[in-house]
Amino acid sequence: MSMDTSNITVTSGQSCMPPVQEGDTRMLLTGNHAVAYGAMLARPQVVPIYPITPQTPIAEKISDLQLSGEFDVDLMTAESEHSAMCACVTASLTGVRVFTATASQGLLLMHEMLHYAAGARAPIVMAEVNRTLGSPWGFWPDQSDSLSQRDTSWIQYYCESGQESLDTVIQAFKVAEQVNLPAMVVHEAFYISHALEPVVVPSQERVDRYLPPFNPEHRLDPLINESWGAVVNQDMYYRHRKELTESMALVAERSIQADAEYQELFGRSYGIIERYRMDDADLAIVGFGAMCGTSRVAVDALRAAGLQVGLLKIKLFNPFPTEHVRAAIAGIPKLMVIERNVSPGIGGVLAQTLKANLYGMKDAPTVHSYLAGVGGLNVPSRLIEELAKKAMADEPVAESLWQR
Amino acid sequence: MLQIRVQGRGGQGAQMAGEVLAITYFREGKYVQAFSSYGGARRGTPVSTFIRVDTEPVRERCDIIEPDAIVCFDPSLLSPALMSGAGPDTVILINSTRAPEQFADMGDHRFATLDALAVAQKNGVGRFVNSAILGAFAKVMGSPDVEFLAEVVRDVSPARKNENAAAVLDGYQMVRIKGEEGSGLVAAVATSAGAEGASA
Repeated sequence: MSMDTSNITVTSGQSCMPPVQEGDTRMLLTGNHAVAYGAMLARPQVVPIYPITPQTPIAEKISDLQLSGEFDVDLMTAESEHSAMCACVTASLTGVRVFTATASQGLLLMHEMLHYAAGARAPIVMAEVNRTLGSPWGFWPDQSDSLSQRDTSWIQYYCESGQESLDTVIQAFKVAEQVNLPAMVVHEAFYISHALEPVVVPSQERVDRYLPPFNPEHRLDPLINESWGAVVNQDMYYRHRKELTESMALVAERSIQADAEYQELFGRSYGIIERYRMDDADLAIVGFGAMCGTSRVAVDALRAAGLQVGLLKIKLFNPFPTEHVRAAIAGIPKLMVIERNVSPGIGGVLAQTLKANLYGMKDAPTVHSYLAGVGGLNVPSRLIEELAKKAMADEPVAESLWQR
Repeated sequence: MLQIRVQGRGGQGAQMAGEVLAITYFREGKYVQAFSSYGGARRGTPVSTFIRVDTEPVRERCDIIEPDAIVCFDPSLLSPALMSGAGPDTVILINSTRAPEQFADMGDHRFATLDALAVAQKNGVGRFVNSAILGAFAKVMGSPDVEFLAEVVRDVSPARKNENAAAVLDGYQMVRIKGEEGSGLVAAVATSAGAEGASA
C-alpha cells in the first residue's frame, strides 16, 4: 500500500528549499510518480500501457490523474507490452501525441515494435524503468534491458533523479517531434523509480508555452489519403534508413537547444552531458543514471583528499554525442567507466561505446571499465572512491572488470 | 545528513513508517529521500526502507550502510549484516517487550525498545505497530517534533486517524532507552495523561 503524497506541501516557514516559481508546486513524489506528472503536463492524447514491476506506479498514477479529471487522456490498457507498442505506433501515426512506459521483460516483448516505431518515424515518448532481465528472476536496478535496445533507433536519455525524469519527459517530446524519432527516458528501479523526493511540478501554463500541440506534416487519415507500411524496394529502403540516420544525427543539437529553452522557462537544465569538477582532472569517472549522484559525493571526497578527479555524466546515450564527449575529456589522461549492466562477450556497454567513439582521437585517454552494481548490487560512494584510486594506479586492460 | 534505516517484514507497515518520516521532515522544509528494497512484495519477507534527511539536496543513490538510526520492527531481523554499519552513536530502536539492556550483548550501541504491539492494541489500531514506533523514534532521536509527527500521521493514515495519532504520542512516552532511569517511565510522567496506566 502506498499513500497519496501528491497533496503534501511544505508547511514550515523555515524551509531549506528555495521558493518555487509562481504556478509551480513542490511535491514529495517517487521518481515514477514524477514521470506520470511529466507525462500529464506534456498533454499526450493517447497512453497505451501494460503494467510491470517496477514501472507499475507510472501506470497507476496516470490512471489516478485521469480519474480525478486532471489528465484528459485515452488510457488504453493493452493485453501485452507488444500490443501496447503497436497501439502507440498507430495512434502516433494518426497525428496525436503518445506516451507509454515499461520495464525489463516488457521492453523486450516490445522489441519488434520498437524497430517498427522508429522506422515509422513515430515520435513516441516512453519511460523505461531499468530492471534486471530473466532468467534468473529479479526486480533489481540493472541497465541491461534498455541498453539491449540501443540499436532500435530510439533516442535514449538516462536520468539521475525524479526531477530530471519529469523534466526530461517534457523535453523528450520537444526533441522527438522535431526529428520524428521515438525517445526513451530511462531511470533505474528503486533508487529513482521508488525513491520519494521533493520534486517541483511545473505549471501547466508554462509547459504549454514550452511544448506546443503536436501537429505533424504527415498523418494517417482516410480524407488525405496517406498511409504507412507498404512494401518498398531496395533503393527506397536504403534512402529511408539513410534519412533516419541523418535525423538521429540532429538529436544532440536539438536536445541542447530544448534543454536551453527549458532552462529559460523553468530554471533547470541538465545538458546532454555534464562535466562535474572536471577542471585539471587526472581521472574522469564516466557514468550514467543514478550512479552519477553517488559519484558526485565520491568526487567531492577524492578532491578533498587532494586527488584530481571529476565526473562526466552521459545523459544522452543514443545517439552517442561523440564530439561533445571528446571535447569534454580533452587533456584528461584517464577515464574510469562504472556501470550497472553487462553484455557478456562485450563487457560494459557504456565503456565499449565510449571506446569506439574515442577511436582516432588525438591523445585519446585510456579507459578503465568497471562493472559495479550489476544485478542491483549496492554501490556506495566509498566503493567508487576505491575504484577511482585503483584506476589511477593500474594499467588499463581491454576487458571490463567485475567489482564489488 | 541524518540517515535512517527501517527494517521490517512485508505487511508490518515498516515502509509506510519510513514514508511518514520522509513526509514529516519534508513538511518541516528539509530535503529528504526515502526508498525501499524488498524481495517479493509479499507479507513476511524482509523490507528495508532507507531515509536520508538533509538541509542540502540528497545526491546519494545507494543503500545506507552506516545509519544514524536503525528502526527494527522485529528482533529476528537484527542480523549481523544489518548491525555491521552501526557504531557507538547509532540508535537501535527495537519493537520488543524486552528491556534495551537485554540487547547489550549485540554491541555498543544506543539501544531503545518499545512494546509497540501493546501500544497499538491499547490505542485500538490492532496489530499495526508503525505509529507507536514512530512516536518512539521521535523521543529517542529528539526529532521530528512529536506533536507535528502525530499531526502528519493523523493526516496520512488511511483509517483510524485519531487512534494512530494517539499511538504516536503513546509510543513517545513508553519507549525505554538504555541507561535512562525508569526505561521510558520518566517520559511518561512528563507528558500527557493519555499514557497513564499503559503496560510497557
